[in-house]
Amino acid sequence: MSLFSKFDAAAALESTLSSMPVNPTSIVISKVVSASEAIVNGRSTIMAGTNNYLGLTFDADCISAGQAALAETGTGTTGSRMANGTYKEHLQLEDELAVFFDLPHAMVFSTGYSANLGILTALLDADDSVLLDSEGHASLYDGCRMSGAKIYRFKHNDPEGLAKRLSRLGEKAKDALIVVEGLYSVRGDCAPLKEFVDVKAQYGGILLVDEAHSLGLYGENGRGLVEEYELKDDVDFIVGTFSKSLGSIGGFCVSKHPQLKLVRYASRPYIFTASPSPSVIATTREALKKVQHGQGLREKVWHNAKHLYKAFAELGLDIGPTVSPVIGVSFQDREKAFSCWQDLLSLGIYTNLILPPAAPDGGSLIRCSITAAHSETQVDSIISAFKKVCKERNVGRLN
Amino acid sequence: MDKNAVVEKLIKLLEGSLGKSLVLSKDSTLLGDAGLESIQVIEYLCEVEDAFDVVVDEESLSHVSTFGDLASVVERISSE
Repeated sequence: MSLFSKFDAAAALESTLSSMPVNPTSIVISKVVSASEAIVNGRSTIMAGTNNYLGLTFDADCISAGQAALAETGTGTTGSRMANGTYKEHLQLEDELAVFFDLPHAMVFSTGYSANLGILTALLDADDSVLLDSEGHASLYDGCRMSGAKIYRFKHNDPEGLAKRLSRLGEKAKDALIVVEGLYSVRGDCAPLKEFVDVKAQYGGILLVDEAHSLGLYGENGRGLVEEYELKDDVDFIVGTFSKSLGSIGGFCVSKHPQLKLVRYASRPYIFTASPSPSVIATTREALKKVQHGQGLREKVWHNAKHLYKAFAELGLDIGPTVSPVIGVSFQDREKAFSCWQDLLSLGIYTNLILPPAAPDGGSLIRCSITAAHSETQVDSIISAFKKVCKERNVGRLN
Repeated sequence: MDKNAVVEKLIKLLEGSLGKSLVLSKDSTLLGDAGLESIQVIEYLCEVEDAFDVVVDEESLSHVSTFGDLASVVERISSE
């Protein structure tokens, strides 16, 4: 077997995708018009498949902050945080994150992916056990794998399943790491965090919650699902990303545990990565202020989410039971999912097509996300397009 | 429970989970012959753990391809 023969499967996949009328993995945005609109395939398109939940990517204050940082501090740091890559602004952002979450310790990473890798590989080693939700993000799984810890998966959002596994681990349970997310990005469902906390209280364990998609959307201050359910004291680590509601790029971890400070010395994904560029830090800091005082943005995104969810429910689409800014429309038929996705795109609506093996339960899914930046007219356009496509493709109740 | 009985129970579990009869043996593969997607394998393994009251770590599953392989892992962990 040659070094390159491992790419045979990827080549076959690429060939299949390329043979489709539109390759869903090769969409090119030729011009970004606004936080909710872009030019795709030469036509104006409403972006209903992003993670720009609060619509901050075009916020004037965030842009000004980024531009000023570029002019004053340059384009990049050219080094890791442990060498020449710690500027005072990195420390200021960490302080601001700690204040924002009302927790004593915060750490910034260059991406959300590296935050999860960095924390998990520092917290875990081969002697440890980690219990991971079966629909946890790839970065969580990869971090657990890289750590060498024993990985036990439990059914998605199943506190009873978690309890059974902790029970079977016996003495090891009290030091086991439990890893869940807040809002799940594909189907738009939330973790039953209170129930997970109850399980932890009964069997022990350290709880890490990834708020990548819930930051900015839940809680009075937009801190996420942990704040929404008032569980700050019960959760050990919160990780997240700047690349969704904050409209930037980067990742973070906050914690009540002082050992987070020491993760800097033990986390290879942190030590051996160039630090975030000054403009990224500047836009993130500005966006964090917007989130903190973002009640209006939250009201707008939830208003849009409820409107869209209600319309999809009336269309009889196969959607989850929870209203959230992420709505996953499930299809049992992969070809139908693809056809609908392509039709929507041709009508100027961009959504995310998720095919096996990425989709939960082996089916196919069109992921639709809504933001505070979408106007009423845009939301109505999304609904009209779905209505038309579903009728033509014999999907839902309108056939 | 001998290995054949474990295999039989594993296949019955999958049939119950998918709601249909399957023509599978100890040499049938989970991904190919049973037609499971990788995410469905995770869900199925959770049911296997509950049915046999064991907890199986991912490393133990790294060489599992067939129902016979899975039965061996379940037997080993059950006896530990």
